[in-house]
Amino acid sequence: MKLAGTASLPAPPDEVWSLLTDASRLSRLLPGCERLEPDGPDRYKAAVKFGIAAISGKYAGTLEFAEKKPPHSLVLKMDGKGLPGFVKGEGRIQLAAKGNETELTYTGEAQVGGLIASVGQRMIDAAARKIVRQFFDSAKAELASAKNAAAESASQPKSRAKGK
Amino acid sequence: MTTRYIGKPLKRKEDPRLIQGIGHYVDDLSLSGMHYAAFLRSPYAHAKIRSVDLSKARHASGVVLALSGADIDGAIQAVPCAAQIPDMKAAARPVLARDRVRFVGEAVAVVVASDRYAARDALDLIEVDYEALTPIVNPEKAIAKGAAPLHAGHKDNVAFKWELEGGDLKAAFQSADKVIKQRIVNQRLIPVPIETRGVLADYKPGEGQLTVWSSTQIPHLLRTQIASMLNFPETLVRVVTPEVGGGFGTKLNVYPEEALVAYLAIQLGKPVKWIESRRENFQATIHGRDQIDDLEVAIKRDGTVLGLRCRVIADLGAYYQLLTPLIPTLTGLMMTGCYKIPAARMEITGVFTNKMATDAYRGAGRPEATYLIERVMDLVAVELKKDPIEVRRKNFPQPKDFPYATPTGLIYDSGDYQKALDVALKVADYKKLRQEQAKLRKEGRYTGIGISTYVEICGMGPSSAMPAGGWESATVRVEPTGGVSVMTGSSPHGQGQETTFAQLGADILGIDPSQVQVVHGDTSIVPYGIGTFGSRATAVGGTAVYKSLQKVKEKLAQIAAHLVGSDPERMVFADGKISAKESPKKSVAFGQAVSAAYVAKTLPADMEPGLEATTFFEPSNFTYPFGTHICVVEIDAETGDVKLVRYVAVDDCGNVINPLLVEGQVQGGIVQSVGQALLEEAVYDEQGQLITGELMDYALPRATDMCWIETERTVTPTPVNPMGVKGVGEAGTIAATPALAGAVADALAPFGIHHVDMPFKREKIWHLLQKGNGRTQ
Amino acid sequence: MIPASFEYHAPKTLEEALRLVQRHGDEAKLLAGGHSLLPLMKLRLAAPRYVIDIGHLRGMSYIREENGQIAIGALTTHAEIESSPLLAAKCPLLSETAAQIGDVQVRNRGTIGGSLAHADPGADYPAAILALDAEIIAANTSGTRTIPARDFFVDMLTTQLQPGEILTQIRIAPRRPLSGTAYEKLHQPASGFAIVGVAANVLLGKGGKSIEQAAIGITGLAAKAFRAEAVEHALTGKAISEKVIEDASRNAAQGVEPLSDLHASGEYRREMARVFTRRALARAIDLARKGPARGSA
Repeated sequence: MKLAGTASLPAPPDEVWSLLTDASRLSRLLPGCERLEPDGPDRYKAAVKFGIAAISGKYAGTLEFAEKKPPHSLVLKMDGKGLPGFVKGEGRIQLAAKGNETELTYTGEAQVGGLIASVGQRMIDAAARKIVRQFFDSAKAELASAKNAAAESASQPKSRAKGK
Repeated sequence: MTTRYIGKPLKRKEDPRLIQGIGHYVDDLSLSGMHYAAFLRSPYAHAKIRSVDLSKARHASGVVLALSGADIDGAIQAVPCAAQIPDMKAAARPVLARDRVRFVGEAVAVVVASDRYAARDALDLIEVDYEALTPIVNPEKAIAKGAAPLHAGHKDNVAFKWELEGGDLKAAFQSADKVIKQRIVNQRLIPVPIETRGVLADYKPGEGQLTVWSSTQIPHLLRTQIASMLNFPETLVRVVTPEVGGGFGTKLNVYPEEALVAYLAIQLGKPVKWIESRRENFQATIHGRDQIDDLEVAIKRDGTVLGLRCRVIADLGAYYQLLTPLIPTLTGLMMTGCYKIPAARMEITGVFTNKMATDAYRGAGRPEATYLIERVMDLVAVELKKDPIEVRRKNFPQPKDFPYATPTGLIYDSGDYQKALDVALKVADYKKLRQEQAKLRKEGRYTGIGISTYVEICGMGPSSAMPAGGWESATVRVEPTGGVSVMTGSSPHGQGQETTFAQLGADILGIDPSQVQVVHGDTSIVPYGIGTFGSRATAVGGTAVYKSLQKVKEKLAQIAAHLVGSDPERMVFADGKISAKESPKKSVAFGQAVSAAYVAKTLPADMEPGLEATTFFEPSNFTYPFGTHICVVEIDAETGDVKLVRYVAVDDCGNVINPLLVEGQVQGGIVQSVGQALLEEAVYDEQGQLITGELMDYALPRATDMCWIETERTVTPTPVNPMGVKGVGEAGTIAATPALAGAVADALAPFGIHHVDMPFKREKIWHLLQKGNGRTQ
Repeated sequence: MIPASFEYHAPKTLEEALRLVQRHGDEAKLLAGGHSLLPLMKLRLAAPRYVIDIGHLRGMSYIREENGQIAIGALTTHAEIESSPLLAAKCPLLSETAAQIGDVQVRNRGTIGGSLAHADPGADYPAAILALDAEIIAANTSGTRTIPARDFFVDMLTTQLQPGEILTQIRIAPRRPLSGTAYEKLHQPASGFAIVGVAANVLLGKGGKSIEQAAIGITGLAAKAFRAEAVEHALTGKAISEKVIEDASRNAAQGVEPLSDLHASGEYRREMARVFTRRALARAIDLARKGPARGSA
C-alpha cells in the first residue's frame, strides 16, 4: 500500500523537526500509542492499540529514524506485530518552510500481513489514511498548544514564571 | 437384461437423509473423551522460524498438548507426492514447519484442548519469532535470473520441465500460411467445497487400532499413506469417510492435518477432532489451475490447423501435494482438443512460489487444455474472418476416424463431434442468434455468442498412466435374506452411486433398487479401492460393480436352473423371479435361489456355497466424453458487467444410467466454470498475502447469477467398458469457460478486442471499453 | 471462526441496557441482529469484553406514523422494512433500499439501528437516510437527543454516537406529492456490499417539468456516506431533460476521496458514481412524474 501527501503545520521547520524526533511528544501524536521507549540511537520500542470502532488490536514493534537531515528530511521506519497481523512500513518526510509555517510532504509504503491482510482488504487503505489524518491533526494541535504555552510564559512577568 | 431402472431418472437414495440434515459429516461425529485440535499458521509467506515458544499455550486452561515442528522431528514423514515427473526437484512439505515457512497458512504448531474454544484461544498464546524473508509471488519472476531459490539445495525455482511433442511440428510451421500467437492466463482458483476439511482420529491402545474419519475422496489411499507417514501397521488403520460436503478434487489428497490428528490421538490415547475454518480452507487446502500459456498456431488460409506449440508456466506453489506436478501434464495430453491437428508440442515449466500448492480441481488440467485450444480456434476464425463454427468443423475428425490417435499419444475411444455441434446449433437456433446480435449492435447493445466444442479425458484410467493405479474394486454379496450389498472401492461424495449402482443391481438381478444397498467409504468393509475423482466412479467403479453383479448372476442362474431343471444359459431375471426363457413357468423366486446358496443342500455339484463375487477392474483406456456448448452474454457498456443471457449444453457421456444425475453434474460443472469466468480469482499480493481470504472477498456464482441452462445429450457409447459409459462429472466445467470467454470476446469484437483473460470482472471489461473509447470498428 | 471469550448480557429494558453501556464504555459492544458484529468477532477482528444483547428488547421494533413523521424502531429488521405497506406508500425509498441489502438471511436478522450504528462504508441505508434527511434518535442515561442524518456519519465505521448511547429510532418525513425516489446500487459480488450506491430523492416543481429540490445520498464511494451537494445544486430549479441529469451526475464524486481496494479502484468507483447517480435520478424523476399510483420499485 502506498501513501503520499502534504500537510501544512503551524510552526517553522525547526519546531516541527523537534516535535517529530522527540519520542515523548511523538508518542502523543501516534494514534493509540501506549508506549514509546528508547531502544538505542534513533530507535524506539513501541506498543500501540489501534482500531476503528469495534475493530481494534494491540501491536508491539519498533520505530526507527534514519537518513536524518535536520530540519529538512528524514525517514521513518516502523515494524509492528500483533494478533491481527503485522505491519511494516517506511515513510520519507520532507519539511519546507512556508513563511512561519511548514509544508510537510510525505511518501510512504506499508506492507500488511496476517489476519488484517486476508480479511480486511477493503479497509486497509482507508484505515491508513485515517491514521495519517489523525497524526497530522494531533501534530497541529500539539504545535498550536506549544505555541500558546510559549506565548503565555513569554507574557508572564519573570518573577511569576520563576515562581512556577 | 431388462432396463427397467437403468436410463431412468430415479430420485437419489442419498437425498432424504441429506436434505433432512440427518446425515453424518465429520463434525457431526462425537466420541467420548473427544479433544479438539487447532493449528497455528504462518502469517508470513516466506520466513525463517527462529523459535516457537509454546510455554504459555501449554499452561492455558483446557490445553493438554502443544507441539511444534521441532517436537515431532522425525516422528511423521513428509506430505506425500505420488506424481513422478522425470528429474523433478524435491519439495516435500513437513507436516509442521521446522525452520522455514513458505506460504501464508503453513502450519507451524498444533494445540490440543478439551474444547474447541480453549484450543483456539491457546493459539493466541503461542509466540513465534519469525525472520521475514522476501517472498516470491510472480512465477515468471521466480524463474528469472538471480531469483533466490525457495528450497535449500535447489539452484532455482524450477520444479520440473516436461515436454511432449508429436507429429512434424517443423513442417507444420514451415508450410503455414499464417502463424498466430497468443498468451493466455488460466487464473488460480480456490475450490470452496461447502464443507471444509475435517478429521477425527481415535486410537485404542489395547487393540492397537487407529480409526480415522476424514472428509476425503480416497479412503484407502489415505489409509495407506497415514500408515506410511506414521510408520504404523496398515492392517491396524481403519479410515472411514462420513458424508462429504463436496470434494471437487480438493479432498483427493493427503494433508498434513490428517496425519497429525492421527498422531495426536495416538499420543493422547484420546479421540482428537479438527475442523478446518473457512479461512484455513482458503489458505491451506489445494488451489486449482494457475497456468500461463504462450501459444503459437500454424494455420492454412482455408482454416486448417497444421500445428500447435505451447509453452506453459505452471505456478505450483511452495510444496507438492499428492498430484501437484501431474496436473499441468494433463493439459499437454489434451492440447489438440477435438481436432485433427497433426503436430503439437508442449513445454511445461513447473515453478515454485510462496503460495499454497495447486493440485486437482474439477477438471484437473483438462479445463486448461480445452480453454486454450478453443480460444485458439476462435482466434483462427478472427484472423481468417471466418465463422468460428466453420473453422471447428473444418478440423474435426470424422466418426470413421475413431479410435482416433492424437499426436500427444492418446487414443480417443469414440466420438461424433459433428452431431453434438449440429444439435447445439439447432437448439440454440444459431442463425437467429447472429441475426439478433446484428440488430442489437445497431442499437448500441453488445451481446456476444461463444462456442465450445470439447472433448475431455476421464474414466481415470489405465494403471500404466495413474500414479497409484487406476483400477477399481467391487464386491457384490447377496445376503441370505435376499438383499444385495454392493461394496465399492469408489468413494462417492455427492455423485450418487448409492442410487446408480442400485439401478445396476436391480436391472441385472431383476429385483427392486430398494433391495440393493451400496456401501462405500469404510476401509474395514469395502475392498481396497482407488477412490472417486477424474469422473471415474461409474466408468471404472461402475464397471467393477457390473462385473461382480454378472458373476453373482451367473451363479444364481446355475442354482435356479438346477432347481427348476433348465439351461443355466437361458435364465431370465425379472420381477424378483428367475425363470427359464422358453418356459417361464419354470421359475423360482429370487430369494429362493439365494437361500439355496447359503443353506447349501440343493446346490449343483462342485459349486461352492455363498453368493459373493469380487472384481478388480482395470480399464484398457480412458474414456472421452465430448460435446458442444453455446453461450450468449450481454455486456453493460457503462459498467462492464457481463450478464449471462443464454446457455445451451449438448454433452455426450456415452450411455447414461441416471439422467437426473447427469443433468446435475452438467449444471453444476457449468456453474463452477461461470465462477471462474466471471467472478473468481485467488489473489496473492506482492507480499504473498492471500488477500481474497474469505467468502466476503471471493465471489462464488449464485443461482441469481445464472440463466437457465438448456441441456441436451447425444449418445455415443464407449467400447472401453461393457456398459458404454464415459463419465460426466467434470465435463461441464471443462466445456464452459471457453464458451463464456468466446462470448465475451465476441461481444467486444466491435471494439477490436478478441481475447480477454478470465475473470471477466466488471472493472476489467470497463477498462477495455474505455481504452477502445467506445470506438467500434 | 471462534470468537474470543466475552461476557454476555441480555438486559430486559432499554434503561438497563443504557446503564450497561455507560458502565462498560468502549469495552462493550451492542448486539442487535448480529450480522455486522458476529462476523467481526468470529474473524477476531473485534473482541469486545462485554456483549450487550439488545435484540430482544420489547418496543423497539415498529414502523408507524407519529406527529406527521414516520417513526421506525431501531430493532426493525430489513425484511420488515422491505415488506412494510406503510413504507411502500409513504417512504418507498427506504423499503427499496432494504430489499437490496445482503441476502434473505441477512435481511431477516439485520436491524436498521444496528446497520446505521455500524456505519460500514459499503452499507446501503446511509445513502437513503441522507437522501431522506432523516433524524436519528439516540438515548443515553440522561435522556435522548436528535441527530440529523447529515451530521450522523463521521468517518468509516464511525458515527456521532457517543459511548454510552444507544440508537433507538429513525424518523423520516413521508413522501410529498410530485416526488420520486430510487436506489441504484453496484454490488460487490461476494459480500453484497455497495461498491457504489446512490439514493435519489427528487421533488418536482408544479407541473412536473422542473426539479424543485433534489437530495442525493451516495454510499460505497468514500469512507463515509455523503450528500452529493454538487449534483443537487446542478439540478435545483432546472427543467428536466436527459442532458440536465447527465451533466448534474458528473459531479457525483466531487469533493470526496474515493475508496480503492481489490474490488474496485478509485477511478472506477468515481465513474460508477456518475453512472448510478444518473440512473437513480432518471428513475426517481420518472416515478415522480408517474405519481404514487404506480408504486415504488
